[in-house]
Amino acid sequence: MSTPNVRTSQAAQQPSGAAFIFKKALISALVALVLFSLMIGVRTEAGNQGGLIYWTRFDDLAAMVAAVFGGSIVVELLRQWLGPVDKEKLVPPVVRSATALAGRWIAPALLIFTFLVPVIFYDQRYILDLAILVLTYVMLGWGLNVVVGLAGLLDLGYVAFYAVGAYSYALLATNFGLSFWVCLPLAGILAAFWGVLLGFPVLRLRGDYLAIVTLAFGEIIRLVIINWQSLTGGPNGVSGIPRPTFFGIPLDNSDDGLAAKLGIEFSPTHRVVFLFYLILAMALLTNWVTIRLRRLPIGRAWEALREDEVACRALGINTTTTKLTAFATGAMFGGFAGAFFATRQGFISPESFTFQESALVLAIVVLGGMGSQLGVALAALAMIGGFELFRGLDQYRMLVFGIAMVLLMIWRPRGLIGHRAPTVFLEKSQAISSDLVKEGHG
Amino acid sequence: MSAASTSTTPLLAIRGLRAAYGKIEALKGVDIEINPGEIVALIGANGAGKSTLMMTIFGKPRARAGQIEFDGRDITGVATHDIARLRIAQSPEGRRIFPRMSVAENLQMGADATDCSEAERASGLERVFTLFPRLKERIAQRGGTLSGGEQQMLAIGRALMSRPRLLMLDEPSLGLAPLIARQIFDAIRTLNRQDGLTVLIVEQNANHALKLAHRGYVMVNGLITLTGTGKELLQRPEIRAAYLEGGRHG
Repeated sequence: MSTPNVRTSQAAQQPSGAAFIFKKALISALVALVLFSLMIGVRTEAGNQGGLIYWTRFDDLAAMVAAVFGGSIVVELLRQWLGPVDKEKLVPPVVRSATALAGRWIAPALLIFTFLVPVIFYDQRYILDLAILVLTYVMLGWGLNVVVGLAGLLDLGYVAFYAVGAYSYALLATNFGLSFWVCLPLAGILAAFWGVLLGFPVLRLRGDYLAIVTLAFGEIIRLVIINWQSLTGGPNGVSGIPRPTFFGIPLDNSDDGLAAKLGIEFSPTHRVVFLFYLILAMALLTNWVTIRLRRLPIGRAWEALREDEVACRALGINTTTTKLTAFATGAMFGGFAGAFFATRQGFISPESFTFQESALVLAIVVLGGMGSQLGVALAALAMIGGFELFRGLDQYRMLVFGIAMVLLMIWRPRGLIGHRAPTVFLEKSQAISSDLVKEGHG
Repeated sequence: MSAASTSTTPLLAIRGLRAAYGKIEALKGVDIEINPGEIVALIGANGAGKSTLMMTIFGKPRARAGQIEFDGRDITGVATHDIARLRIAQSPEGRRIFPRMSVAENLQMGADATDCSEAERASGLERVFTLFPRLKERIAQRGGTLSGGEQQMLAIGRALMSRPRLLMLDEPSLGLAPLIARQIFDAIRTLNRQDGLTVLIVEQNANHALKLAHRGYVMVNGLITLTGTGKELLQRPEIRAAYLEGGRHG
């Protein structure tokens, strides 16, 4: 069927006249008027004496309603021009092959670029710091992806494991003087332990109920950290956390420092570059482990669990261990990321581990396309990098960001990379000769 | 075996089995025996407890009373995931394939829970492809994009991947076109004749199931009310009235 035919048939089904558009825009404007009359039309503030003073801003209100009216017309015109969003559109083969090519090269290109970031932006400390932040969230996203994307267990308290990892390193390092490289695996193990601990009570829960319990778990960990002052320092946090060393060689200005040993001039950027490659290595390790696990029966069981728990049981999959390993693996990566966060900041406090962090990481996973490794990386870049990109917009930053997210979810409801690559490739099946395809003998 | 009066030991013997969902008793004392190499059909109306029986054999829900014996071993209290290791496979009601996973992955899932060697996996895969060549054509396709009949083939194929000694099928013809349903039944017959596979088939499509089966059980309200060979049952007037003429199910 050719495209014009499709258009006309759609036009016949959906009202599209000017009157319809006008009516729709009018309704939108009316809703906006009702909503904004109090939000924008009346401005209240606490006066000098503590009383409430208010004044009206009807011009702002009128501008807002007009914007909604105009915007509604534009959206409706765009919608009629583009066709329905949920319909599969015919993509020309040229475009399809071009996107396939881009899809094949984007991951290696991104990886090479990431490796070169400290070289290209060596003098720009801000960009290096931002890149480290993005990579931290890539790692968190990949960790949560195991739980949410692969096993399909909605976890709203992922930040708890991030916090456990961060505090494990901070406390072990400040109290016992253990080095980063000793603490890193310990932080991961402790976080995994807490993952299993969370896993047990929620074994029978799914979906919304699971989300509520994990949300509570995240808050419990944070509240324990705040209130257990003797151990965690409470709201004051832990400070003086040792910086990571290059396998025992400190990255500072001293005579034992790496710069002195290599005979080059010391620069504080060295440590930033080191941190960059450290988190990059950790993130890539997370990715590699996840990819390997997906090809093993345990990873396959996670995905099957996401698809259909009853079928899993019918096939004799032990759903208990499957869920617990998913929680533990995801939590372990969160713990690693937490330890890195602590060593990078040098100071941690409960404020860094609020629900907002959980929500952000979850948004990265969902936006990236649940289960897609590349998608999560792109989403982390878009969420963290994009957020910084809009910094110039000041107070409208959140607004622009919110709109961008809504639009993305309309156009790509399954996330940036919604398709799922199969993990079983039967090379041997090619070798099965055609006589087996014929029905009959066994 | 003291209980067995016949010369062969039954592969699966169920005695006085009771199971319930909360306070609602779904099985009220069921006795069934399946001999090695047999196809046994379990027929009955909606809500008779057929699917519950199959799931109780798998330990979910647990039996409240009675005994399930597989190959002379009491498996009444064995954990669900360990029952599959005894090489009892199940194709659950409504097919329940994994929609976002490929056909190949779906099949591998069938072998994952059991301790199958690579060679066993490969031969299992060959067997499935011989039986259902359509699945080989669709090997890289996502399970959810298959037609209903192909999904049923995949569900049976997945169950076969664990190289079972007893295959339990819950309503394999549900929602399938008559021609496709016949293909499925033919495949079950082939499996039984060529591989000597023991099959328990739960069906509402009594006509097909009883023609295929060596023996049949009729279940009403959680109790076995009738038993006999497939041919005998097909000729019983009450069966004809309840399941073949008056009680046709879509």
